[in-house]
Amino acid sequence: MKIQIRPVIVAALCAMLLSGCVQYDSKRGVEVKWQSVITEQLQKGTSTRGEVLALLGPPSQIISLDEETVLYYLFERTKGNGYILILYNRFTVDARYDRAVFFFDDNDILRDYSTHIHEPEDK
Amino acid sequence: MSLKISKLCQALVLALLALALAGCTQWRYDLGDHLTHVNLDKLQQGMPLSEVLNIFGPPQRISASPSGYLLAWEHWQVDEDSLGIRLGALGADILSLDWGKARIRGEFLLVTFDREHHLSGSTVSEWDNLAGGGQGIQPFIGVVSMVDIDDLVRSLPQHTWGATSLQELPRALNTQSSPLSGQSGMEQRGTPPSIGQKSLELR
Repeated sequence: MKIQIRPVIVAALCAMLLSGCVQYDSKRGVEVKWQSVITEQLQKGTSTRGEVLALLGPPSQIISLDEETVLYYLFERTKGNGYILILYNRFTVDARYDRAVFFFDDNDILRDYSTHIHEPEDK
Repeated sequence: MSLKISKLCQALVLALLALALAGCTQWRYDLGDHLTHVNLDKLQQGMPLSEVLNIFGPPQRISASPSGYLLAWEHWQVDEDSLGIRLGALGADILSLDWGKARIRGEFLLVTFDREHHLSGSTVSEWDNLAGGGQGIQPFIGVVSMVDIDDLVRSLPQHTWGATSLQELPRALNTQSSPLSGQSGMEQRGTPPSIGQKSLELR
């Protein structure tokens, strides 16, 4: 019995052509405006909700507790990469959350706040 | 001699064919940042909200509650592995043998504050366990995924806060009680969709 070697080579070449790598990222949420140069303008006990809204824009979420309000800002960044080798495929997905939260009292005065911007590890 | 060589070639082709029909896929998800134990030890009853925010930063989840606020921080790692053999490469999508499993590791810190913004309670959980898996033989068409982790890796609910009243009617009517609204408690990833405050959503 004689084996045709050409189809095997063609099949191997096809497998090589079908393999590849992928890289993608996804961004969801509000624009990150809570860098320290901006939040330095805010003072607990004096800044108002209007000032925060003017600086950062509309939040992702507003929460109320009686007369108090909380503004929550979220920016979600998802990065993924992977390789496709037909026989073995691997994908990694990393999601990081840039966020800021502001608590206001019943007079709309800033009572507490906190911000976080994720710094990439390779920086 | 030539017979031996041809049998060897035949075996080689069969082995290559078998390899071409099988495949292994791994997904690795890393959601959020680690909570360090040193930070957890700093939590004390009565601690002001501002101090907790200084330690952990803004929470990923937040909600008002009748007695104050609930704040939560979380970190999830989800690993999904699957292995399958299909005849699709031969042009015949009639048989697939699949195996898959998912493993989850994570931390969840829940801190409650009273109306004066003082810490009234905290709890932390860590887990490292199997999230499920399965194996199957699907003779004609592959219709069932062996591992389902969609509910564990979806985006945070804050992104859809403004659209809560635009959902289908049972969910829209339940907005005030939904743990996704930020007004009525919160829930972790992977919570079954038809229990507790969401049972009226008829899902």
